[in-house]
Amino acid sequence: MTRPLVAIRGVTQRFGVDGAAGVTALEAIDLDIPDGQFVSVVGPSGCGKSTLLSLIAGLRTPSSGAVFCDGEPITAPMPRKVGVIFQEANLLPWLSAIDNVAFPLKLRRVPKAERLEAAARMLELTGLAGFETRLPHQLSGGMKQRVAIARGLVQNPAVLLMDEPFASLDEQTRMVLGDELLHIWSETRKTVLFVTHSLNEAVYLADRVVVLSARPGRVVDDVAVDLPRPRRFAMTSGERFGMLKDRIWQHIKHAERR
Amino acid sequence: MTPLRWGQAALYLAILGAWELLPRAGVVPRLFVPPLSEALGALVTDRREYLGSLPTTFVEILVSYVIVCGGGILLGQLIGASPAARRMLLPMLRSAYAVPLVVLYPVMMVWFGLGSESKIAFASIYAFIPTLLTAVAGVTALSPALAETARAFGATRAQQILYVSLPASLPSIVAALQLGGALVIVGVIVAQMLGAADGLGYLITRHRTLLNSPGVYAGIVLVLGITGMHEILLRRLEQQVAAYRQS
Repeated sequence: MTRPLVAIRGVTQRFGVDGAAGVTALEAIDLDIPDGQFVSVVGPSGCGKSTLLSLIAGLRTPSSGAVFCDGEPITAPMPRKVGVIFQEANLLPWLSAIDNVAFPLKLRRVPKAERLEAAARMLELTGLAGFETRLPHQLSGGMKQRVAIARGLVQNPAVLLMDEPFASLDEQTRMVLGDELLHIWSETRKTVLFVTHSLNEAVYLADRVVVLSARPGRVVDDVAVDLPRPRRFAMTSGERFGMLKDRIWQHIKHAERR
Repeated sequence: MTPLRWGQAALYLAILGAWELLPRAGVVPRLFVPPLSEALGALVTDRREYLGSLPTTFVEILVSYVIVCGGGILLGQLIGASPAARRMLLPMLRSAYAVPLVVLYPVMMVWFGLGSESKIAFASIYAFIPTLLTAVAGVTALSPALAETARAFGATRAQQILYVSLPASLPSIVAALQLGGALVIVGVIVAQMLGAADGLGYLITRHRTLLNSPGVYAGIVLVLGITGMHEILLRRLEQQVAAYRQS
């Protein structure tokens, strides 16, 4: 087996209150994610799913253990290797769509012509050709999230972290965007870590669903989704889909009831 | 013009017309409110005197403006950025805001004399705290999510300030300028009215003691002109930074 692209080794994350015991958000997490895999992360509310992503994004360092990307330990954001998409689009309101997408390149002082060209390509990939000059407030929620996805992709990172990216969108929009995400994924072959509350979304999109327990978050199940690709909406009412969803639900149900 | 604009124009005309006609009709005593034309007439007749009072007034306003907006906005940004400083200083500043600072003006005159220094000192103190509080409110309203996103994409601390915090606080800076400027104008005019040897406020008071109502109102018209100009400039600026508002 080849070396995993993202390796999480014995990661524990505590949030101390001034040195006191505090809260343990994640405990002894071990995960190997091979290149090109689409992984959904689910778990009961407050189980540390988002904390796990912020560790891989390099936004914080674990209390113990380590996270590696491509063999290199992550201690700070590595924007060229890891692209991040948050629950809210978090676009800069004074920048047009194309400037928002080009923003990560601007931070790296890529020449203007070059970064606008890259941003235009990403907007086209996410179905926003023709909306380059719009300001965020002139875009719908779904379109803003597309801009955020384009921004996450613009540096061509190997890993894409998505923290409930469709949670604030309506059902139809999230289904359309889910299919488009799969389309983009099949074209770019990124490694995707996708945190979600929706079991449907988790199973429908992913090759593999990692289930975390209630706090402190531990990996309680690691489900291979053996549905064929490309995924079709009809599969969501199939027997296999239902079985997978049910298996995940059993873990979460107990945790949420506590 | 849109119907709305026509309506606004009609309203302004009605107010000016009432100012002219009501005193003439004897509805309002002329000593209280002289007709608009008499006030403007006094302005034209005594134009030397009024124009002569403007340089002092403008200098006092400009110096106080720089002190208040420069100091208040900078300090507001610093206090707003630090939760500890906010907790320590804000309650104090809010109570200080409630003090009617005009009681300090006699003290300012003793300290700084009858000249421009006491006007600048008073106007600066008068406008400083509200301006600072507006600036603080602007900084604290900034969403940390944008800075966090920039960090995830590799922004250094300096880049976060330059590309995110600073542009995001532009609207609150303009709001602070708007409030600070308006209060500085009030502060300078009031100080001049209470004790001065020169300036627009001084002229208004002098004409009042002579019971020369048209002269008083001529001064008032000039003050309105100054505040109106300030307001128009700041509105322009506000439109320029409208895109920086977080919504």
